[in-house]
Amino acid sequence: MNLYKYASPSNFYPLAGKLIPWFATPAAILFGVGLFVGFFIAPPDFQQGDAYRIMFIHVPAAWLGMFLYVLMAFYAAIGWAFNARLASMMASSISITGAMFTFLSLVTGAFWGKPTWGTWWVWDARMTSTLILMFLYIGFISLQSSIDDPRRADRAGAVLALVGVINVPIIYFSVQWWNTLHQGATLRLLGKPSISGSMLWSMLIMLAACWLYSVAVVLIRVRCIILEREQNAARFAEVTI
Amino acid sequence: MNWPDLSMGGYGFYVWGAYLFSLFAIVWELVSLSYRKKAQAQEKTSRQVLRGNANETTS
Repeated sequence: MNLYKYASPSNFYPLAGKLIPWFATPAAILFGVGLFVGFFIAPPDFQQGDAYRIMFIHVPAAWLGMFLYVLMAFYAAIGWAFNARLASMMASSISITGAMFTFLSLVTGAFWGKPTWGTWWVWDARMTSTLILMFLYIGFISLQSSIDDPRRADRAGAVLALVGVINVPIIYFSVQWWNTLHQGATLRLLGKPSISGSMLWSMLIMLAACWLYSVAVVLIRVRCIILEREQNAARFAEVTI
Repeated sequence: MNWPDLSMGGYGFYVWGAYLFSLFAIVWELVSLSYRKKAQAQEKTSRQVLRGNANETTS
């Protein structure tokens, strides 16, 4: 099977259409299971009581906000370096979902901060760097929509995305590099997680659900972008002929 | 299985507020996508109609 043929938007369009239900359906199921485990099985925290349950949406949203930015920058770089139209379209498609999850992480974090820290917002390292991530997403989206020529818009967006990627490790390591209100990492690659059983499972299931949801939505949006760009190209051809 | 206390031990506003906001954000994303798809379909139809009219007038 020649996978390179799917690098062409016209070949990828039907494939994306076939893939969407395979991501959307498990996402809906896992959202249900994750919320069930989080609200019905996981016990209240001994310090924070039930307020900690915000974690089941806050942590996956924050992780996805960061991960989707790296993925967006990767696709933007591929599109820029190899003039791959589909990769640039993927970057555009990812940006809106990434911005949505980053915004969600900030808002749900504020909802969690008020009962636990006594304030909706503080300018600590992690929150400030996450706000910068949000501005980077907004900048990428605004820059792309302000340039009429899609190729030029893709190139300009790629530069911004690549410069901004430096912010992702800053967000991740901010709790180690600076004194912040945020706790340290809950999950470690080599160490034991600092939360127990059902709480951890609920968070991981919600993370999987958010991830599958993101893939489904990005595929739906990239199909729209493919069609829009084709329609614009056709309109341009009609005008010039 | 424990039935959750809807008041969330006094933190109900914050917990339900966070989840409601998340639900709104996801619904907004899905609705805006469906509007985008509808607008595309309408544009496609209108372009086909225009092309048909142009063919009628030129033939």
